[in-house]
Amino acid sequence: MVQLSLPKNSEIKKGKYFKDKTGSKNLRKVNIYRWDPSTDEGPRIDTYEVNMDNCPSKVLDILNKIKNEIDSTITYRRSCAHGVCGSCAMNMGGKNGLACTTPHAEIEGDIDIYPLPHLKVKKDLIGDLDGLYKQYQSIEPWLKNNSTKETTEIYQSKEDRAKLDGAYECIMCACCSTSCPSYWWNGDKYLGPAVLLQAYRWIIDSRDEERKARLKKVADELKLYRCHTILNCTNACPKGLNPAKAIAEIKKMLATANV
Amino acid sequence: MENRPLSPHIQIYKWHISSLVSISHRITGLINFFAITLICIWFALMLFGESEYQTIKIFLESFLGKFILIGITWSFSFQMLSEIRHLIMDLGYGFELQTTKITGLIVIFGSIFLTILIYILGRGII
Repeated sequence: MVQLSLPKNSEIKKGKYFKDKTGSKNLRKVNIYRWDPSTDEGPRIDTYEVNMDNCPSKVLDILNKIKNEIDSTITYRRSCAHGVCGSCAMNMGGKNGLACTTPHAEIEGDIDIYPLPHLKVKKDLIGDLDGLYKQYQSIEPWLKNNSTKETTEIYQSKEDRAKLDGAYECIMCACCSTSCPSYWWNGDKYLGPAVLLQAYRWIIDSRDEERKARLKKVADELKLYRCHTILNCTNACPKGLNPAKAIAEIKKMLATANV
Repeated sequence: MENRPLSPHIQIYKWHISSLVSISHRITGLINFFAITLICIWFALMLFGESEYQTIKIFLESFLGKFILIGITWSFSFQMLSEIRHLIMDLGYGFELQTTKITGLIVIFGSIFLTILIYILGRGII
């Protein structure tokens, strides 16, 4: 259901203020969402003054700097730091993205960092993505081909292979799904852009033999048609993919094919 | 575990042209629903004769009446242009980020332009 305000236990209070100790002139204020499950307190926003003189260009560099030099209690996920693993997905300056590929110079004013929107928070900047992974599992994201022996190679033409471009590159960082208002209000039923892009990836794979069954499975008022082309997903994708277009293609296939 | 907070969503997410056009599309849809009902009531009232017609005329010539009429004109213009945009998208076109921005701006400014055009034509200014 549409719920515009946050529940009582999620209301955000002002937190601590970490004043700069380096005496640098080149400072930026960074506001970070904090929540510690080991206390009874609600979430808060801590503000850090960060010396930008020796800070590399990405938001993740700021977070690392804060963790190493100012406050080691801050918690976030990160791994590859090159936009490949999708661990450091978060909301920066009001937009979802990967902290490791988002330049802090692109954010005007104070840098606000929140976890991905509308998720149950595990700690600080880490949201719970279990629901999304369950939905991903539900579309059975693997090749289904019964007519070929497991040991034989399945050929694919260059044209058919090209159809997977723009779909297979997804790293499942959840930036798109958690940017989508439809997914916020109906995340329990609507599959969301990330999962639908993957559904599309398997529907158009020429080697897959379950195309019709896959289409039938997503052809549902809530699973698919909650997409109202708000396009937050395409705007958020850090890999430059277009989940909104993939969803439109699925809708088109359902409208034209006899499923 | 039960007490996990929900991370902020609409409170912090930045608006952009496509999301603005999308929400306006829904709002104008709702306005149009009531507008058509209102127009039907006006027409029905006219059946009761000249005095009822006069009452409606006086109301429509008042400031509030004019505001409502111009508002409805804009709302219909917006809904129409936005619906055309949706139709094109349903055909699978216009999903590139740059294109969505341009078509979104066309809808916003086009609806204002159409409202003015309809006003000018209706008033017989040109």
